[in-house]
Amino acid sequence: MKSYLSLIPFSAKVRRSQNRMTLLCIIFAVFMVTAVFSMAEMGIRMEQARLENKHGALSVQDIIGSTVGQSLLSIAVVSFLLILIAGVLMISSSINSSVAQRTKFFGMMRCIGMSRQQIIRFVRLEALNWCKTAVPIGLVLGVAVTWGLCAVLRFFVGEEFSDIPLFGVSLIGIISGILVGVVTVLIAANSPAKRAAKVSPIAAVSGNAGGNGAGLHPADARFVKIETALGIRHAVSAKKNLILMTGSFALSIILFLSFSVMIDFVNYLMPQSASTSDIDISGCAGTIPADFVETLRGMDGVKEVYGRRSSFNIPAGLNGGRTLSGTLDLISYDDFDLECLKKDGVLKSGSDLSKVYGDSNYVLAASDPNSPWEIGDTILIGDEALEIAGLLKYDPFSDNGLTNGKLTLITSGETFVRLTGITDYSLVMIQVTGEATDENVNAIRTAAGDSYHFQDKRDQRTSGTYMAFVFCVYGFLAIITLVAVLNIVNSISMSVSARLKQYGAMRAVGMDERQLVKMIAAEAVTYAFCGCTAGCIAGLPLSRLLYDFLITEHFPYAVWSFPVSSLTVVLLFVVLAVMAAVCVPAKRIREMSVTETIGEL
Amino acid sequence: MDLLEVRNISKTYGKGETAVHALKNVTFSVPKGEFVAVVGESGSGKSTLLNIIGALDTPASGRVFIDGRDIFSMKERHLTVFRRRNIGFIFQSFNLIPELTVEQNIIFPVLLDYQKPDKKYLEELLTVLNLNERRDHLPSQLSGGQQQRTAIGRALITRPSLILADEPTGNLDAQNTSEVIALLKEASRKYEQTIVMITHSRSIAQTADRILQVSDGVLTDFGRFRE
Repeated sequence: MKSYLSLIPFSAKVRRSQNRMTLLCIIFAVFMVTAVFSMAEMGIRMEQARLENKHGALSVQDIIGSTVGQSLLSIAVVSFLLILIAGVLMISSSINSSVAQRTKFFGMMRCIGMSRQQIIRFVRLEALNWCKTAVPIGLVLGVAVTWGLCAVLRFFVGEEFSDIPLFGVSLIGIISGILVGVVTVLIAANSPAKRAAKVSPIAAVSGNAGGNGAGLHPADARFVKIETALGIRHAVSAKKNLILMTGSFALSIILFLSFSVMIDFVNYLMPQSASTSDIDISGCAGTIPADFVETLRGMDGVKEVYGRRSSFNIPAGLNGGRTLSGTLDLISYDDFDLECLKKDGVLKSGSDLSKVYGDSNYVLAASDPNSPWEIGDTILIGDEALEIAGLLKYDPFSDNGLTNGKLTLITSGETFVRLTGITDYSLVMIQVTGEATDENVNAIRTAAGDSYHFQDKRDQRTSGTYMAFVFCVYGFLAIITLVAVLNIVNSISMSVSARLKQYGAMRAVGMDERQLVKMIAAEAVTYAFCGCTAGCIAGLPLSRLLYDFLITEHFPYAVWSFPVSSLTVVLLFVVLAVMAAVCVPAKRIREMSVTETIGEL
Repeated sequence: MDLLEVRNISKTYGKGETAVHALKNVTFSVPKGEFVAVVGESGSGKSTLLNIIGALDTPASGRVFIDGRDIFSMKERHLTVFRRRNIGFIFQSFNLIPELTVEQNIIFPVLLDYQKPDKKYLEELLTVLNLNERRDHLPSQLSGGQQQRTAIGRALITRPSLILADEPTGNLDAQNTSEVIALLKEASRKYEQTIVMITHSRSIAQTADRILQVSDGVLTDFGRFRE
């Protein structure tokens, strides 16, 4: 041994299993940042290639200055910061527990002459020592995943991603990965290092001094069973650990809620409607005969043909009025179109679409947050009273989704014909099959002739971009969740390790396994409760803020609603994490030999 | 009637050439209310014997009867409850629960049984142990002697028929040592409890009713001093 620091690799070898989780946290942080930055660079390179094909040579500044470049960079930077925070929280919590478990060791080091400064250096270098293995693994994983993602985007998503480089290595990604690994570890080790330096040499010679985190407040067993009271006390007694665990839970919830808004945003930006057409045919003179639709239906490459009839400014009696006091627009939807409304989730809750089909007296109405009409309202057209059976969440016929006070009713084809006597369509939409060729489309164009306006919208498909975006967001969410779950399992496991001797003594004086597991569960639930509360307090307003900023700003009809489903999913994950966090130490406790732990006492 | 009966207990650690025979056919019995000291060098098998009597460890062969019940024939769950109600443990390093006050530490085994402690008996114990003024203190706020007195209180609260003490005075000074021994003897006499205590000190051992010596896993009974 050249210096006292040579102890670090030996210690790392002996404590390999305890350090596994900390290593995993570092690997995750490095991997995430490498992957995010590498993907951003690949995206920029793809954009560069695309623009070069279009406009000739371009400088890097041009690319970075472009909208795509800037949004990719800003996403990468925000992700970097989020991962840094998550990494610091998780690694810090790991190192904290590791230090707490070794109070006696640090006390002994102080006894035999190690100065406080030397202990700080020892803990920091010990943490940096983990980077030696964790950083390269994280980098390799990050690069490999980037290649995998690029391959998925290029071969499965295609479209604009067909230019993405396959085996590109991003220097920025690698440097960011190394940086995040080292910086996270150094920040995370800072406070535990100081904590270790504060350990009194008495800790080494006394059985009870320090490290128990008991504080000055006893457990309160008046209202709950003793094991529950002890579990809660274990959670709240170590303030720093509680803050870290709460922060870790809360951060996951906040990220989850924020990313859910991102998914909503992309849903508004690139609505993936089941009724999105590939070809639109509209009548120049306003009419397309119904038998032409039948002709189209029989053509090669055609998957679905559906049309709309329309009649505007029809005199009507609104709000149950018996006189024709206002006007409305009437649009007919074919059955397929009506089905798609339900599939796309466009209908407000309480709507009953089944009443609208066929020749009926029921209609759907476009609405927005300010429109006064409700389900059940009756509308008078001619001498027929129609009832609103359902409402659309927005007005699909206006530019901004708002009705602007105009009532637009959607009826079935049969009802429309009965009410207006118009049988011709104003718009016919076609969905083509996956195998449809340009020849098939040209045949349709020829059939339409010059009398109709023909619009080929196949290249306006956004499903590829949408899928890529959703894939990335969900992937990111899955990793955040996984890291949070691992962190929680690790922290509880560490907490159990630190108290193993105490548990041995409890077993000796008569605590059974079930009670021990309940005690650990109470500790885990306390962390989860604090984390969920903090996460909801911070995450829900943030979700609303993001929603207003990203979505309502651009889509005025969109209204933030309490994210029940996202919250349910994230809370379900929290419950699963708590269960997993209790199961692992419970197994250890079952296998625990009381005499072995007592022997160490 | 004998409260504790140990029959042909053997315990071996390891296998083959590295096997260590910690206990070899140990047999003895202790009547109700007797205070027994177990002496022996480090590594002689004293603690192994105590752990087996307390059902914290299992023997390779042999049986242990407490109050006529074969403890190793019980299932783990029942054994834990039996231990909680019938055996009191006192350790060298106290092993109090740092989050609980003196009073809570003492009544801990009763709380584990989801019962309410006998308040009169608790007050009596706190008075006997001279911990009345410290009842709301945490272990970290107590001296070594006070912590060990708390541990004794915890061992006595369920009125167990058997108390097992593993070097209870090992961490105490001379005055606290004599106080603790006096308390144990008083408990043995007053509550008719059987005490088996490990000690390294000959002088402490001689205050017991009977001395057992363990040497290389073999038990020698030095007999009773006082009948």
